Amino acid sequence: MTATRKLASVQRDWRERDVRVVLAALVIAVATVATIALFASHLQRTMMTSASTFLAADRQLTAGTGQPIPDTWLAEARERGLATGRMVEFSTMVFGDQGFQLVAVKAVSSDYPLRGDIEWQASPDALREIRQQGPGQGELWVNPRLLRLLEIEPGDTVEVGNLSLQVTGLLLREPDGGFNLAALSPRVMMHADDVAATGVIQDGSRVSFTALFAGEEQTLDAYQNWLEPQLAASHRWRSIRDAEALAGSLEKAEGFLLLGGSLAVLLAAVAVAVASRQYALGQRDVVALLKTLGLTGRGIGRLYFVRLLVWGLAGALGGLLLALPAYWGLAAVLAQMLDQPLGFRLDWTALGPALMTALVALFAFAWPPVYRLRKVPAMRVLRSQPGEGGQYAWLDLLLAVAAIFGLVWWYTGEPGLVVALLGGVAALMLVMGVVGWLLVLTLRKLGGGGGSSWRLALVALYRHRRSSLAQIAVFAMTLMLAATLILVRSSLLEDWQAQLPDDAPNHFLINIAPDDVDEVASFLTARGLSQEAIYPMVRGRLTHINGVPVRQAVTKDEDVNALNRELNLTWMASLPADNRLTAGEWFAPGQREGVSVESELASQLAIGLGDELGFTIGAEVISEPVTSIRTVQWDSMKPNFYMAFPPDSALARMPSTWITSFYLEADQKAAINDFTRRFPTVSVLEVDHIIERIQQIVAQVTQAIEAILALILAAALVVMAAVVSATLQDRQREGALLRTLGGRQRLLVRSTMLEFALLGFLAGLLAVIGAEMALWALQQRMFDGDFRWHWQVVLPFPFISALLLALFGRWQLRPVLTVSPMVLLRRLE
Amino acid sequence: MTDNPTRSQDTILKVSDLSHWVDLANDTLTILQGVSLEIKRGESAAIVGRSGSGKTTLLGLLAGLDVPSQGKVHLDGAEISALSEDQRAQLRAQRVGFVFQSFQLLPAMTALENVMLPLELAGHENPEASARELLERVGLGDRTGHTPRQLSGGEQQRVAIARAFASHPVILFADEPTGNLDNHTGQAISDLMMALNREQGTTLVMVTHDQQLADRCDRQFAIDGGALQEVARS
Repeated sequence: MTATRKLASVQRDWRERDVRVVLAALVIAVATVATIALFASHLQRTMMTSASTFLAADRQLTAGTGQPIPDTWLAEARERGLATGRMVEFSTMVFGDQGFQLVAVKAVSSDYPLRGDIEWQASPDALREIRQQGPGQGELWVNPRLLRLLEIEPGDTVEVGNLSLQVTGLLLREPDGGFNLAALSPRVMMHADDVAATGVIQDGSRVSFTALFAGEEQTLDAYQNWLEPQLAASHRWRSIRDAEALAGSLEKAEGFLLLGGSLAVLLAAVAVAVASRQYALGQRDVVALLKTLGLTGRGIGRLYFVRLLVWGLAGALGGLLLALPAYWGLAAVLAQMLDQPLGFRLDWTALGPALMTALVALFAFAWPPVYRLRKVPAMRVLRSQPGEGGQYAWLDLLLAVAAIFGLVWWYTGEPGLVVALLGGVAALMLVMGVVGWLLVLTLRKLGGGGGSSWRLALVALYRHRRSSLAQIAVFAMTLMLAATLILVRSSLLEDWQAQLPDDAPNHFLINIAPDDVDEVASFLTARGLSQEAIYPMVRGRLTHINGVPVRQAVTKDEDVNALNRELNLTWMASLPADNRLTAGEWFAPGQREGVSVESELASQLAIGLGDELGFTIGAEVISEPVTSIRTVQWDSMKPNFYMAFPPDSALARMPSTWITSFYLEADQKAAINDFTRRFPTVSVLEVDHIIERIQQIVAQVTQAIEAILALILAAALVVMAAVVSATLQDRQREGALLRTLGGRQRLLVRSTMLEFALLGFLAGLLAVIGAEMALWALQQRMFDGDFRWHWQVVLPFPFISALLLALFGRWQLRPVLTVSPMVLLRRLE
Repeated sequence: MTDNPTRSQDTILKVSDLSHWVDLANDTLTILQGVSLEIKRGESAAIVGRSGSGKTTLLGLLAGLDVPSQGKVHLDGAEISALSEDQRAQLRAQRVGFVFQSFQLLPAMTALENVMLPLELAGHENPEASARELLERVGLGDRTGHTPRQLSGGEQQRVAIARAFASHPVILFADEPTGNLDNHTGQAISDLMMALNREQGTTLVMVTHDQQLADRCDRQFAIDGGALQEVARS
């Protein structure tokens, strides 16, 4: 290898400590970001698959008009490699030997379900089984309740329209059932190919046709693009995102992962900046010599550019080599907790941000100080020159900050996150400035006096005030990022816990006749079951806004689901505890007029306070002005309503049924049988398995978040190690000198630990202040939760960081204590 | 050296009325004032003076590492004070060699690579062969693969001398070449430098406060308070 080539060789560079630190920072940056990105993508697929079971597919297309979905659409989907299935849902009477009953029929093709499974039982006493397929032709699976209502047993025959079907099993759980409160009558499931023979579906029948799709996300998206122009207003394309109960949790989890990734990017940038600055300072002598030997400024620039490029490649390669096993490890841990673990898949798009991070960190943070090397005067080879370096630092800093936040923006697509982090960092810098000034002011006064370890520590801090401040700044920033993540994690978990506590209602009672309301309540109370509030329910459609038919008032583009079906209207005296008014006033006692509208629907329909809403209920029409807008916790598992009226309104005179929910422990399931025997007309909707599912998913996400947090904290430790090791030689030389001059080991150890503890305390204090600010901004913009001070983190944090850094200091003092001062001084020469 | 028949006695380094100062916060510090000198090709010259007398600054200006605040420096026919930094770098690569007090070897490179470096920068054809030959010549033929850390001070300076002569410079600048070495080693180093100088017919300009070394040069200049004066030889 020639000497000039060797100038740019990684192998040669590796012999230099500062280069090792830059490379290590790069490797860690790429590894962290790549691991997080790969794992986030894996997690997303896992969650999608889990959540897909709520739709029994990845996507659903529903036609509510009674017109089947064209076969050509399904054929096109299959052509593109998607799996497809069909469902037909309608209500009809079924006849047994002893009686008849209105049922909600779900007729499914043999492919159903594409995702998830069916829980099935051969007879009430048989074991529960998991099925991957619905009933065959000629078969009927029924809700256990129907056995009693029709007084039939498995094996009997029932008539569905013109067709006789044999009851071959009990339908306990369907993957896509549960949330649809419109399904008030008992469910039966039959084969889709039997539907025509029943003759039940006539023109004008209320029937909904659904097509199911499953496959690769990209294929699904492409298919959606192909399909969308052909859809009519009554068609509804649903993805997992629309599964309301999960959407919130998924989004927050993704938000957290993105935040984690962004913090990894910032940490990496800090590490690279610190190490490369140190490197550039160390390279000045070399550059002066090379210039003396005749290398031109451009040659120097080229030399270091090539070198940076080589580092970038080496860092990226090393990072990926670390990231892949780390991803496999995390995915394997996750797989242990899953019923149906996903295979590993390298999502190459997830690696983009990692490589980009390496490039940006190198060229925004390492390049400016390195580029300035070409300005090093050759004269430096004879003696160091005044006024070198530092002049352009502010411009560099601005460029670097712009680059890194641009990267975070590109990575997350969340300007809110960028603003929050930028604000946190800016606030931190401001406080840093003040604290630094105070520090210098105080420390100067503490000069003079004996050789106590306290005084030595303070003097050391003052003597190194510039590097001390720089270290505090970097530590504080690193700790701030770590603290932000810890705080976000706890508030996220608290949020989820609060949303779905262990005793969240898991059974709904629907169709309670007004006369039964009191009896139902006493039935539940007698068994110690805590019942949520009970609400009346009247089904009606929103038909007019300010006298204009809604179909005209709302364009097709804003396809609002709530308009496609009847709404459950209610009246209530007081605002439910988890609802929040965002505008207007709640109903006054005795108030007759007015309606309270759910805030998202209000904004979709552009409804404001004072707008007149017209509702069609049966044959009647009522019209009420909007008097308040409120938010609703859809995932609270309690009865929730888009529209609420005052108890004395016109609605209260309409025929109504009542709805409530309650929590039932798994071993109390027998109570349901008692209940249905006692109140045969009340529908019991069991959602416990759905809640279990959501809790399981939340548990997975929590695990993942913990793992990623650990990863980021490890990265933070490495950054701090990089910063400390940047001053390692100076400190070791000082320590050796102190020992040579007769300082005792104990004094040295104590003063060093004290110095670092002070550094750590200050940095920790600044960090929590910055973190709380960033968190406040994040809460406002990303996670829309309420901000609280986190005293349990804020108070101990500075002490923990002091302890941590004291141990760091002690650790880096090791060579000074174990090797003779003379050997050390010679080695450091 | 003056009797080298193959070299004409033309002027290789000419300095006329050179002054140099640096601007401080609220003052100007004059380092060199009205310096003029002329060195002929193949001559050896020593500049002696106390610490802080400005001799190192003068050496840097003569070698084109910096440009003077005032006055002109002609090096081998080129007016270096009129050249850009990059042009001066090229000139150094082709015609100038350096030996430093603190050796200035690149720590991560072996002795051989350190010597090869200027040859490659100047675009020589077979840098490795020339470098090996020179290391052989300075008595380090068996240490080519060693890094500076593995060499003693005297050995490091020998590598530096090999590096300086490797590209056959027309002029060699030395800044206290024996300053960091003990007497005995210093003597050996100056012997080596003088010998190579003679072999290659190089012009030698060195800064030193080693009077013994200065005495071995053809001409001697004393610098004091920024002013230069030639010391008459007996």
